[in-house]
Amino acid sequence: MIVPFNHVLLLSALLFLLGMFCTLTRRNLVMILLGVEIMLNAASMAFIGAGLRWQQMEGQAVVIFILAVAATEVSVGLALIISVYRRTHAIDPDAQAWPAEEGSP
Amino acid sequence: MTAMLPTAMSAISLYSATAALVLPLLAFAAIMLGTRPHPRLSAGISIAAISISLAAAISLLVRHWGLETPAVFQTTWLVSGEMQVPVGILLDPTSLLMLTVVATISFLVQIYSLGYMAGDPGFSRYYGLMSLFAWAMLSLSISSSLLQLFVFWELVGLSSYLLIGFWFEKFSASEAGKKAFVMTRFGDVAFMLGLILLWLQLGNLDFDRLNDAGFVTGRLSPGMTTLTALLIFGGVVGKSAQFPLLTWLPDAMEGPTPVSALLHSATMVAAGVYLLARLFGFFMLSPTMMSVCLAVGTISLLLASSMAMVARDIKQVWAYSTISQLGFMLMGLGAGSFFAGVFHLLTHAGFKALLFLCAGAFIHHYDTNDMFEIGRKGGRSLTSAMICMVVAAGALSGLPPLSGFFSKELILGRLLELHNPVWFIAGALGAFLTAYYAFRLIFIILRPREIETVTPGGLQDGHHNSGGARAMAGVLWILAGVAVVLGFFQSPVLHFLRRALGAGQSLPIEHHGWLPVAACLLAVAAIALAWMEFGRRQASQKGFVERMPAVAALFANRWYLDHLYRLLLNKLVYGGISRLFTWNDRRVIDGAVDGMGLSTVRLGAVIARLHTGMIQSRLMIVFAVVAVLILYFGLGG
Repeated sequence: MIVPFNHVLLLSALLFLLGMFCTLTRRNLVMILLGVEIMLNAASMAFIGAGLRWQQMEGQAVVIFILAVAATEVSVGLALIISVYRRTHAIDPDAQAWPAEEGSP
Repeated sequence: MTAMLPTAMSAISLYSATAALVLPLLAFAAIMLGTRPHPRLSAGISIAAISISLAAAISLLVRHWGLETPAVFQTTWLVSGEMQVPVGILLDPTSLLMLTVVATISFLVQIYSLGYMAGDPGFSRYYGLMSLFAWAMLSLSISSSLLQLFVFWELVGLSSYLLIGFWFEKFSASEAGKKAFVMTRFGDVAFMLGLILLWLQLGNLDFDRLNDAGFVTGRLSPGMTTLTALLIFGGVVGKSAQFPLLTWLPDAMEGPTPVSALLHSATMVAAGVYLLARLFGFFMLSPTMMSVCLAVGTISLLLASSMAMVARDIKQVWAYSTISQLGFMLMGLGAGSFFAGVFHLLTHAGFKALLFLCAGAFIHHYDTNDMFEIGRKGGRSLTSAMICMVVAAGALSGLPPLSGFFSKELILGRLLELHNPVWFIAGALGAFLTAYYAFRLIFIILRPREIETVTPGGLQDGHHNSGGARAMAGVLWILAGVAVVLGFFQSPVLHFLRRALGAGQSLPIEHHGWLPVAACLLAVAAIALAWMEFGRRQASQKGFVERMPAVAALFANRWYLDHLYRLLLNKLVYGGISRLFTWNDRRVIDGAVDGMGLSTVRLGAVIARLHTGMIQSRLMIVFAVVAVLILYFGLGG
């Protein structure tokens, strides 16, 4: 392994934090979904690094699963966003009248 | 007093005593919980219970008439460490007589109330409270220890409060109830302190031990005995409305008249005197105590008699008379004659209940308490009540051969034996004034100056010819019969009571040949004075007291005792203590509660900021929590 495992973990942690920052701060549902994807990819990178480090196949197998889950998640998420946009003409999460939040200010 | 060895109680006595006690309590519970909407049923339950109690009391009296030693039944009520609190029944001559008197008067008054209270919206409640009182008073009579007596003592105080304020819609009635409760409480606090002191010193509050001179003097120093006796005497002063706590009793007349007859003349206020008789052996150990008792009795006798001379309200007159007669009993006991005090208690219960019930008949019929108005409206045409009232007033004044004559003569005879003639003179003066005010009232009603004919032809005795009115009249005649004959039972009762004192302590009562004649002449002179001023045709109906306006005002204002108390109350309680407590309540307690409320509101406002409904802020919290958990488990573990 050319790249030290520590570096891989550091990179994936950075990537995860970036994704988290994106999810928490952007006022756009599509960008929030994007942030979630970035966090998933950060996790995938850590798995691949770990698979290489210990010479195990399971790391890559889990990454395949993550790709599949990410693909379905994006498709369902985008479908929801479109449906929300059609109803309210907004993709700002704060502009949505979330059903459970009747009493909140 | 010599030690009396109590014997165990036979089963049948125990059962009948228990039945006498428990049934009125059951009646109270049944009426209050179940039958309040059905007045007739409630009255039936209450009267059935008290008649069984009466039957049980009489059977006990008969069974134990030849009793040599008191019968005791005791069982443990509470155990706490080494402290054992017993509860039990003590049957000795004193308690048996008191039990019978209480049961009899309660029974008669409840029958009488059928007529008097008919149609009152609180009829069921009235009978419920009467049952409560009967239970408490009967239990008080045969309590075996001072602590048990104290419990029932407070319970009769409670029922007195509830019954004085029976017509609580009337402001004056609820105020009078409150006043009675608070003023008797003053005495009871002293009583309780005495009780605690005795308990700490002796560890035993049974009457047979307390009256045992050997037991007490071995454990208590003379000073301590006097102190505890004086404290307990405080309770007597409060309950029996003696000086200086006497002003609650006249106000207590706001209650229904049968209540006044039962509680505030015959039984409850006599509980104080009864307690004194109960602990007579103990009180005898302290000569100071006996002198205080004599002094308080004398002051009350004279003060209350003077107040009665100017009162216009018929019930107030009898209330003052009750205070003075209770004072007279205390004089008898304080002078060292157990028998004279207790016998006067017995006779007084009979004739004073009768006086009140007669007054009730007038008040019920003419709807006024003012004796002049009753006279004007033709009070004398209510013949049976009038005759009974004359009989009872004669007994009160001590005319032979009525019951009061015998008991008063005993007390006066005892007072004469004291070294200081002041007591006898005060007692004789009290007896003179008593006869004077009693017949002042009689003559005012019997010989009114002008007669209004309000309802012509309708004011005969059979005016209310219902069952209730007949019950009322019947009760009056029974009590009048008692007042006439009770005096002749003096010597059997004396022999019966002598056993209570123990053989060594039976104080011989010397008979002064001239005393009965003198007492009788005194009463007759007083009645003659009343006749001169109120009875004869040319009389001005103004007493010799009323010709001296300053004195009359003093008497009519109850020697300004109430004003003094009101002043003390305003300055000390309302101005001082009450203000301090109000400040504490406003600032400290309210402040603390308000502060708690306010801080909750503010904390809520802070927390509410987290709760904006933004999914992203929630998500942030989730991340933060997970990060903290990772730090905790990853680094800590």
